[in-house]
Order: sequence, then structure tokens, then C-alpha cells
Amino acid sequence: MRTDKARDDGRAPYQVEVPEEYVLRDEVRWLQAEDNKLFRFLKEAMNKTEAAYVATYPPSECGIATFTQDLVTAIAKYTPFSRPTVVAVKRREEIEPYGKIVRCQILKDDRQSYIDAARYLNDSTVDIVSIQHEYGIFGGTEGDYILDLIRELKKPAVATLHTVLHSPDPNQKRVLQDLAELCQVIVVMVRTGRQMLIDSYGIEPRKITMIQHGVPNVHRVSTAAVTRALGIADRKVLSTFGLINRGKGIEYAIEAMPRIVAKYPNVLYLVLGETHPGVRAWEGEAYRNELLDMVRRLKLENHVRFNNRFLSLDELVRYLCATDVYVTPYLNKDQIVSGTLAYALGCGKAIVSTPYLYAQEVLGEGRGVLVDFRSPDAVADAVIDLLEDPTKKERMESLAYKYGRRTAWFNVAIDYLDLFHRVLLRTRAEKALRQDEVAAEAKK
Amino acid sequence: MEMDLQIRTRTQEGIPVIQLSGEVDAYTCSRFRDAMIDAIEQGHPSIVVSMTDVEYIDSSGLGTLVGGLKRSSEKGGRIAVVCNSSQIRKVFEITGLEKVFPLFEDETEAARELAAHGRRRE
Repeated sequence: MRTDKARDDGRAPYQVEVPEEYVLRDEVRWLQAEDNKLFRFLKEAMNKTEAAYVATYPPSECGIATFTQDLVTAIAKYTPFSRPTVVAVKRREEIEPYGKIVRCQILKDDRQSYIDAARYLNDSTVDIVSIQHEYGIFGGTEGDYILDLIRELKKPAVATLHTVLHSPDPNQKRVLQDLAELCQVIVVMVRTGRQMLIDSYGIEPRKITMIQHGVPNVHRVSTAAVTRALGIADRKVLSTFGLINRGKGIEYAIEAMPRIVAKYPNVLYLVLGETHPGVRAWEGEAYRNELLDMVRRLKLENHVRFNNRFLSLDELVRYLCATDVYVTPYLNKDQIVSGTLAYALGCGKAIVSTPYLYAQEVLGEGRGVLVDFRSPDAVADAVIDLLEDPTKKERMESLAYKYGRRTAWFNVAIDYLDLFHRVLLRTRAEKALRQDEVAAEAKK
Repeated sequence: MEMDLQIRTRTQEGIPVIQLSGEVDAYTCSRFRDAMIDAIEQGHPSIVVSMTDVEYIDSSGLGTLVGGLKRSSEKGGRIAVVCNSSQIRKVFEITGLEKVFPLFEDETEAARELAAHGRRRE
């Protein structure tokens, strides 16, 4: 277990980083050498679920890749006798040094590679296929090549939706409807997404399941001690992290800073993360440079700091633990999930956010403050209010943390395994029924 | 900062009952492991682990239980788990560990079962 121990005023030490959790797998592995009888008993008794995951995957840098890695890792911890498989989607020009868990690759714009991947899965020991769906990661019209894979697949499939558009164009609507038709279950991460699928896409309610976005397992620590460890002691820290793009609306948070600085001269706003690789290919660092210009123009050089690189989970958690107020000033009101907001909740942070769909749902009941879109004044008011009222901030942090615990990856993994088991049971029952019908027909 | 797990050990029907309250996860499971080792080394190979007040258990917590079972079974003992929560029960069922650790809803019943097992072995 790696630890980063800090001390708060000489009192008990505590961990800032997320400890590794591979203990069940490790224990089982050790048993094979030390107590083969118990090992064989466990092997016989424990459930085996061979799942494959079709998605982008690290080292590709995107939210879906990170999500998939987190999900695969979390599920693998509970299934020591199963071998997870990742079918990674990538662009032809990318040469990704994937880990060995990636056993098959799909070239995004090569339709045949989707069929080939389905055939690979059909010939494998995989029981169930989990597809991480986002229009942009698959090739074809609105990513419809993924439908070819599922049509060719002879194993049950479930799809987790990372985007549900409120007003889809006809192609976008068709792709999601077909996906729902071909998959056994569609997973959404918020209740609003479920209702949109029913109302706007006509998808049957029984096909839709809700499983929340996972968050790292982080126990609450003192913000003051972590800021000391990071060399930013005595600063009030605001932060926003993720792959930077224009949809993040960071300019509105920066514009809010002069008013916050006037009240709290020690405030520091951290903008953490590199520019989204897709955005960088399109416009380079234009957006970041505009933000830097704004910082100079507003004379905020001592109050806004950028960290322009892809941050590891440990780094993210450390910065989040150092944060007094987490800000998501996002601009897209239809956004139905945000991994970064989920992480901030998991770390028990006070959060100020614009009211996009995901934020509206998870920050309800006092777990955060919602402010108008594109409103620096509203951001400033909310942040100042929280910094002025430590009791209110602490209450909000406690509520956020409590909510986040239920959505820790170790709980979300159990929800997915439960879903996989239910789908497999149903599929097997349906298959048995079909065989009985065929046998009965043959007898006639 | 105090981690979110409280552990109390008492005896019922001559069997140590380790009562866990809170979260059994990567941060807290080493103390749970210590409690099991203490009980086994004090000559009690069979243990009841009461999880009626456990809110969450992760794979580290399950791994700790498996590690405890190894030590317990080496001395001819067993480990029974008491839990009422559907969430905790689901974790055992989903992993298949409910076939490894007998699950009980009642602590006394679990202790009696393990005590009877001990007498049969004698």
C-alpha cells in the first residue's frame, strides 16, 4: 500500500492517497502456493464472470478511457478467477502501448474491425460484453459502426451511455434506439437520463438501469494539512480539473476571481489538466492561451495557476483534498455525467456548479451550490458565501462525502456485477426455453 | 484522522465475536485483520464476524476475511458472518463468498453453530 502520510498539528497521521485494494485477488493468489486445498475450494465456490469492455482505454487520454479503466479494475478486484478483456477503440494513426488486458483492438473508422472484434469475442470465453457508449468514440455516422459489432455478437451486451442528448438529430436518435434494441440493458448514470430515454427516444423503461458514476475510495482528510504538503499552505484553494476544452467555461470562473480576491487575498484557483487531445488537434492551445491572456489582463497571476498535463489519480485526489471549493462552470446544460464532479463529491468537497443535468441531480439536497450559466458574479457570490461560512461549508462537505461513499468504485463494481449476473441468468433461461421449444417441436 | 471502522470483540458460546461497525475497506481492514489474528492466536480458531453495523465492505475487506479463513482453517476453525443488510449480503452473493463463509442473521445462532462444529471436531 502506498501512503503519503502528513500530520495535522502533530495529531494522528492519515493517508492522502488512495490505497491499493487488490487484497482479495492477492489473498487468493497467495493461497495457490500456501494452501492449495483452500484455493481449490474458493475456485469452486466463487462466481466467475468473464466480462469484455468495448471502449477507449488508457493510455488514450479521454474521460471514457479513464472510466473504463476504473470500472474494469474495480470489478476485477471482486473476481479473482475471471479474466477481464478490453477491446480498445483507437484511431488508425495512434500507436497505443496498451497493457495486456487489451486483447483486441478496433480501428475507429474501419468498419470491418468492428465485425472482427465481435468474432473475436464470440470465439472467446467472454460471457458478457459491456459497451461504453459515446457517439464520438466510434466510427460511422454518429458512431453507428458499433451497431455492426453488436449485430454480429452472439453474447449478451449491455451499454453504458455517457451522453444522452436532449434534442438528438435523426441519426443520433436512431443510433441510440438501435443500441437499446440490440443490447439487453442500457445503463444510465442519472435518473434524468433514464427519463429522457423514455420520453425522447421511446426506449422501454424495463431496458434501462441506473448505476451511478464511480468515484475513488478516499477517506476525508484535513484540507490544511494537504495544502501544506503541496506547498500552498495558507491559501484558500478553488479548483477545476479535467481535460480542458471550451465547454468547461473556465473563463467565467476566472472572471469571478477579482471579486473573490478582493475579499480573500490569499485565494488560489487551480486549473488542473491538459487540453483535450481532440481539441488540441483542432485548435492547439488556443483556448488555454485565451485563459492565460485573461489572467494577465485581470492581473491574477498570483491567484490562478494552471497545471497543463494529464494528472494521475493520486495527483487528482491530492489536489482535490487540498481544495476548499470545487468549481464546475460548465456550459452545456444537457451534460448528463461529469467524472470530475463525481470525484469531487467522492472527496467530500464543497462544490459550486452551473446547473447542467448531472450537477442538478447530484448536488441536490444541500450537496452543492448551483449558479447561473456564464455568470462570473454568481460564481463569486457562491464561493464567497461558502468561504465566509465554515459551518455551512462543512455541512455541505459532509453531505457530499456521504453521497459519494455510496458511489465509491467498490460499490459501483458490485452494481455492475449484479447487473451482469442478472443479464446472464435471463439470457441462459431464455436459451433453455428456446431449446425446450425446439425439442418439443421436434417431438411433434 | 480516525478511520471509519470500530471494532469490538466479545465472546458468545465460547466463540469470539468480532463486531465491526462502519466501513471495512482498504483504509481500515488492517485493524480487522489484527483482531482476527489476535482471536486465533489466543486459541480460538473459529470466529464469528458480525457485520450487522457495517455500511460498506470492499474487496480488501473480503480479502482480509479470506486471509483470516486461511489462518482459522489451519487450526481446524471456521469463520461465520452475521449480516442483515441487503447491500452487504449482496456483496457475498455476487462474489460467491456466501458459499465460503456461512451467513447468519443472528449472532447467537452463528456462535452456536461454530461451537457445535468445534465439539464435533473434538
